[in-house]
Amino acid sequence: MKVRVVTQILEANDRIAAENRKIFKNANVYVMNIMSAPGAGKTSLIERTIKELKGKLKVGVIEGDIAGTDDAQRIENLGIPVVQINTGGACHLDANMINEVIGDLPLKDLDLVIIENVGNLVCPAEFKVGEDMKVMLLSIAEGDDKPLKYPLMFQESSALILNKIDLLPYTNADLAKIRKDSLSLNPQLNIFEVSCKTGEGISAWTGWVRSLVK
Amino acid sequence: MHEVGIAQGLLDIVIEKCKEGGYEGIESITVKIGKASGIMPDSLLFAFEALKIGTIAEKASLTIDEVPVSGFCNGCKNHFIVEEAYVISCPACGSMSLRIDTGRELNVEEMEVF
Repeated sequence: MKVRVVTQILEANDRIAAENRKIFKNANVYVMNIMSAPGAGKTSLIERTIKELKGKLKVGVIEGDIAGTDDAQRIENLGIPVVQINTGGACHLDANMINEVIGDLPLKDLDLVIIENVGNLVCPAEFKVGEDMKVMLLSIAEGDDKPLKYPLMFQESSALILNKIDLLPYTNADLAKIRKDSLSLNPQLNIFEVSCKTGEGISAWTGWVRSLVK
Repeated sequence: MHEVGIAQGLLDIVIEKCKEGGYEGIESITVKIGKASGIMPDSLLFAFEALKIGTIAEKASLTIDEVPVSGFCNGCKNHFIVEEAYVISCPACGSMSLRIDTGRELNVEEMEVF
């Protein structure tokens, strides 16, 4: 006998993501989900962002990695509440992983929660975790062909941060091409050029973040 | 890259539906997978075959209907269907003002039960 099912396979994830979002919203916390390839500078961006927002916004961090606590340690050193998730092999964070650690953050005392996803340019784009926005970080040393090779990341993100612009003289990366290709994939994308090493461009980024967090 | 999780998700859905209806087991399952969903049909089948063992879907076959990327161009007002997983500009006029209608599907459509 045939039975119609018609159910989205990711429905279970999306339902938990909506639950997470409600918890964050009730606590009046803005949530961003930062995605990039390994080594693009997610943790460095979060460190810079925290330092720049000090005294302006109260920030908490959820760190996602396959293994290890190095990133969480770096954030903890800044005196910021942080929770480490080890996915144990999974290539992305999903809504359930976030749901399990929400209670470990002092949400009442926070304005902004930054989620650092697992370094991967494919899967994190597919999974909602309860965020207000996704942010894509691309270091220019990865090459200017990335938007057209990994389009979903760029389509799902509200902001694109181009990191390591201090390395521009040493690479063949064409910033104009990255901008053009990214905007053709997603005309609403807000693009920031930064160097987490020198601090260049960080204040423009954090200024924009502040305008989003009520 | 996360086909195992997707295969587990689809098995969870059909097994629950099957038990809800009071049926004994599942014979076949049909899913719709969009070409832009990021899921490789072969990997999904491989994961499905491994995960179904020991469940009431153990005897089930999996049919994957691939859905092409299609949409509407706001420039030339034409509908289009493309072969590729992504479309950046209208294949007819080159306009980048597009509405994408299909290609991101990741749905369980139907199953046969006994």
